[in-house]
Amino acid sequence: MEKTISTSAAASPKPHRYRWLERIPLYVLVLMFCLVTAFPIYWMIVSVVQPVNLSLQYPPPLFPQAIDLKVFGEIFSGRESVGRVDIWIGNSLVLATLTTVFSLVLSIFGAYALAGRRWRGQGLFGLMLLMTQMLPEALIVIPLYATIDQLKLKDSFLTLALVDTAFVLPICIWILKNVFDTIPNEIRDAALVDGCNRIGMLWRIMLPIAAPGLVAVGVVAFFHAWNEYLFASSLISSRTMYTAPVGLGSMISMIDTPIDKLLGGGLVFSIFPVIFYLLVQRYVVAGLSAGAVKG
Amino acid sequence: MTAVAGVNTQLTKPTARRRRDYLPYLLALPIIIYEGVFILIPILQQFFSSFTSDVLGMGPVRWVGLDNYERMFADRYFWNSLRVTLVFMVGTVIVSVGAGLLSALLLNQRFRGRSVARAVMTLPWAFPDLPTVLIFYWILNQNFGVINVFARFLLPWLEQNPKWMFDINLAMPLVVFIAAWKAFPFYGLVLLSVMQSIPHELYEAATVDGASRRQAFRYVTLPELIPTLMLMGILACIFAFRQFVLIFLSTGGGPARATETLVISVYKTAFNSFDFSYGATIGVAGFAVVFAITLAFAFLQRRQEAAAGG
Repeated sequence: MEKTISTSAAASPKPHRYRWLERIPLYVLVLMFCLVTAFPIYWMIVSVVQPVNLSLQYPPPLFPQAIDLKVFGEIFSGRESVGRVDIWIGNSLVLATLTTVFSLVLSIFGAYALAGRRWRGQGLFGLMLLMTQMLPEALIVIPLYATIDQLKLKDSFLTLALVDTAFVLPICIWILKNVFDTIPNEIRDAALVDGCNRIGMLWRIMLPIAAPGLVAVGVVAFFHAWNEYLFASSLISSRTMYTAPVGLGSMISMIDTPIDKLLGGGLVFSIFPVIFYLLVQRYVVAGLSAGAVKG
Repeated sequence: MTAVAGVNTQLTKPTARRRRDYLPYLLALPIIIYEGVFILIPILQQFFSSFTSDVLGMGPVRWVGLDNYERMFADRYFWNSLRVTLVFMVGTVIVSVGAGLLSALLLNQRFRGRSVARAVMTLPWAFPDLPTVLIFYWILNQNFGVINVFARFLLPWLEQNPKWMFDINLAMPLVVFIAAWKAFPFYGLVLLSVMQSIPHELYEAATVDGASRRQAFRYVTLPELIPTLMLMGILACIFAFRQFVLIFLSTGGGPARATETLVISVYKTAFNSFDFSYGATIGVAGFAVVFAITLAFAFLQRRQEAAAGG
């Protein structure tokens, strides 16, 4: 996949020994980009691992002067004063697992419907998914809140998982459809000739081949729910049922929150999504741009 | 790829059974019902609610016809939120797609440490919203924020630390920066994958014809990129329009409504002022905007797919 076209190698008429000179601007630009993207994250890590009194100096040292990892123990100590990050992360795990299960099942249906032969209304179905994907959550939250409040379904991870699934489903379907589309027609036809019906073909042929796509869908759905703030903050009111983003968000406004604990919670919270998103990045990018890029 | 698959299925169609095929409908139905319950019905409720008066503690819900819409068009805060949305949208689209394009051009070169640079430049995209807010909340802190060190280094004549997020002139550029910081890797990755799919022969041909590197970019790379750039532009508009968490948690729409976009204004009208029907009315205006941009996206995408297939 890492097919590179080096325009410089192909088109540069200059002799070899001057080439590094004209590459200086390239390195400078790359370095600047990396600094701007990485510095905030670097700074977060530094502020967590160094003793908090160093972070509160002015000017703060740009490189950590001492390292103190006790903060991670304190975050999970369960003391109310540092927030209940331990409980909140557990809540987020439950919510994200439920959302993953719902999204996987429904996206297999949707992707299989979109990947096969064309049918009347397919375009409309695709447009419906696109609209859903583009819709701002903040515009839906009022009526959804009103209905869920009336039905007494607030403060439930099941409700929240169902809502999160509705919003993450379109991208899950696009991701899986893209993977289904790469399965050659010959394989499908061979399965049909061998006496598979189409559900059997989906189950025995398509899904095993599309396993990486299923993993990508799982990751996207899981971390959508893991990261989601708006619905979690409006549909959950009990503090012990907060999800991690809502809990951490509630700590911002409490002035006495020690900054290293707050950032430490944020760091612990971010590690898994960062690792997993980078792993399935290729599938997610293709699914998010919904057909703008192929493959 | 998809377009090619589409052509194949069309070729095999005449030999397949002609009877109506119900399987796709059976598969799509649960999803249509699901999205209907969670998306479509709430939209209709929102629409219905915009013709009523529904304010917490102000008696029963009443039908008021177009009153809310009259109020909205006369409301200077509504027009302010539209203006803020436009500024935020244009700002993030230019900065994030521009930075994405530049990063893709850089990563398309061959150089030492390229894969490391690529991973580093993808990080913000993988970083969740809430920790992003936490980071910048800390970096931009008026007293302890590390930004003050840089600001004083670059602008030594500063007498006191700026108020950053709480400064009426700085809040919007900062929010745009945060949103673009998080969004640009996505556009970069998409554009990079397009650049890497341009056949090598095109560059060789251009070199044979005596094109310089600049000309190769202008006449080979750019024409291949422009359709995707347009799609990314529209996508960036939509993502900017729906941006809630980054703005809401970092400035809350303030100071003095300087960053109060339309979606923030909808949320605050409903959940802070408890005026549900008026919030719904602004929401309907928001739906109209999203609907228009999405149709433009679908139209462009279809035209591009048709061009790729034919």
